[in-house]
Amino acid sequence: MSEIKPTVTVDARGLTCPGPLTNLIKAYRKANVGDVIEVLATDPGFKPDLEAWARRTGNEIISVSEEGGTIRALIRVSSK
Amino acid sequence: MPKKLLIVGGGDGGTILANRLARRVKRDDLEIEVIDKEETHFYQPGFLFVAFGEADRRSISKQRARLYSPGVRFTRAEVRRIDLGRREVELKDGGRKSYDYLVIATGSALNYDDIPGFKEGANHIWTLEDAERLHQALKNFKGGSVVIGVGGLTYKCPVAPLEIAFLTDEFLRSRGLREKSEIKFVSPLERPYGPRLLNRVIVESMKERGIEPVTFFTVDSIDPQRREVHSLEGDSLKYDMLILSPPHRGAEVILNSGIGDDEGWIPVDRHYLRIRDYDDAFAIGDATNLPVPKTGVIAHFEASTVADNLYYELRGMERRSMFDGQSFCIIEMGREQASAQVSNYYYTEAPGLIPTRVLHLAKLSMNTMYWTCILGGYI
Repeated sequence: MSEIKPTVTVDARGLTCPGPLTNLIKAYRKANVGDVIEVLATDPGFKPDLEAWARRTGNEIISVSEEGGTIRALIRVSSK
Repeated sequence: MPKKLLIVGGGDGGTILANRLARRVKRDDLEIEVIDKEETHFYQPGFLFVAFGEADRRSISKQRARLYSPGVRFTRAEVRRIDLGRREVELKDGGRKSYDYLVIATGSALNYDDIPGFKEGANHIWTLEDAERLHQALKNFKGGSVVIGVGGLTYKCPVAPLEIAFLTDEFLRSRGLREKSEIKFVSPLERPYGPRLLNRVIVESMKERGIEPVTFFTVDSIDPQRREVHSLEGDSLKYDMLILSPPHRGAEVILNSGIGDDEGWIPVDRHYLRIRDYDDAFAIGDATNLPVPKTGVIAHFEASTVADNLYYELRGMERRSMFDGQSFCIIEMGREQASAQVSNYYYTEAPGLIPTRVLHLAKLSMNTMYWTCILGGYI
């Protein structure tokens, strides 16, 4: 599978709750349907917050991975 | 020949920094000048009390020129541009000022453009005039649907929308209007307040008072004619009164000078507050891009760090004071009760304290200590 290229990257590493989700929402406001938002975060609370957000807003989490303490999430904007 | 410290912005951070340093350095070693375009300094947490009729313009303002210790020069002027490379600040009247050290404390600015209809449709307390307008609106309110909450993202004082909700509940009860009213609290997050432990205290108190949380509601636009607020998630709420935090961005001078990010926040290092790539220029308070709340208490602690380090440097010592992201916040909850929370870069899930009258009294005492101990740079 070819690597999905994000349209925009939100670097929220070092930010604590609710920083990563807040920054994702700010990016989401500016994004278009079809865009892929990449979020880099270190706050462990980000994963459950992201899942709840995606469920509620109808956007798609393409993948969430973790390496060396950094969470990398790819989200496709499918609902606005 | 004394070195020259120029402080752009005479709010909490700029004033505390100037006064703290002025008492410790000799005038032969350092000249301190503060530039601000406004003559009057406002105690901004007091805007909340203005909105609910417990304070007025006079009780929360003082002339700026009277707030500075001997050794600080206050200049009333508007800065057009800051040139970090040339160590020069250009004023709107064409004048220029050079410096050896610069501290940018320009705060944040309201950015209504981010939410169509906000200016016409929403009330708020983020300026004194708006707090006074909200007070009139509350006095004229006859009951109905009240929507309160987080409007724009990035706003000053994270707990202020919650305080407004609790005090509105109390205000309506005192006027016999609570049973004719419903209060909804909107938040773009999955809970009314981000940090989880304080959120528990908040949700419990909301339940007790009949304030309904509406989560994942990112305010997108407001229709003042139809009295509707629309969210990015596709929901709408009708309102008779709407009170929201306005979106903020950095000061115009930062955007004009090209020294901030695309929202006008200045990148600084998180411990020494140096502006990236410069060793003689610092930013403090709301002006920075740091992941800490935009509040006076943060400006206070950051100002103390920079003041201490400039003092050490003038004495030939290395800069050794470090800002750790420390924040302390008392949350007014009505009924003469308040909760509180502490946090820093490393300790963010501190318990939210059970609301008590003691914390409420602490918040009130802060209102008086502000003008003397805090702005004077004594604590």
